[in-house]
Amino acid sequence: MTHKGTAIFIAQRASAVILLPLVIWFLWSAVAHSAQSYEEMRAWIAAPRNAVMMGLLIVVGAFHMRIGINEIIDDYMDKGFRGVWKLLNLFACLGAALLGVWSLYRLAV
Amino acid sequence: MTSPKAPARPLSPHLQIWRWTPTMAASITHRATGVALYSGTLLLAVWAFAAAQGEAAFAPVGAFLSSPFGVLILFGYTWALLFHGINGLRHLYWDMGRGLEVKQATLAAWYAFAASLALAIMTVAAGVSARA
Repeated sequence: MTHKGTAIFIAQRASAVILLPLVIWFLWSAVAHSAQSYEEMRAWIAAPRNAVMMGLLIVVGAFHMRIGINEIIDDYMDKGFRGVWKLLNLFACLGAALLGVWSLYRLAV
Repeated sequence: MTSPKAPARPLSPHLQIWRWTPTMAASITHRATGVALYSGTLLLAVWAFAAAQGEAAFAPVGAFLSSPFGVLILFGYTWALLFHGINGLRHLYWDMGRGLEVKQATLAAWYAFAASLALAIMTVAAGVSARA
């Protein structure tokens, strides 16, 4: 990870800026649809705009998560095992993104 | 254990030796909410997965989220999102080289705590009252 500090710094900030409106939209939508039935919720997710926004939230969120947790691993984990922790972190973030997107696809189609 | 040849990089200092300040509390809370949101996002993915399995599979998830403990989890998730987002704005502002004076930074730390808590209460209250 050496000599990549600036790129990671920018990637973290850029994903943060993208996430800000997505999170506001997500909280607003969650409240607006909290009283709906399963079928109503499904119909809402199936609208392309909503499915894409949810997908972006999960994918960009997973990307941002990975950077943040790698930073914590660098700060606190034993040097010899950092690679293992970072690999586990990558799997968890990739898993969340894939599971989320696949589920959204199943919900929407 | 670092090998004797490797130059020793400093470790983060232990929390208990410092006198707490609002800026320090906000910094630590930013990390803590970041870690909490990690599990929050995993839960969101699992929620979407359960929903995709059909109404029968989703029913227990929906029931849990309506229970008092479920609402508590939702409140924690909402607050973590709001705090990390609002405090993230402080970080972006600092990245532009602004707001770094002690007085400004301290005041903004208090605002981040107060605003995130107030907005989280309003958000969850609105969601719960809509469902009732």
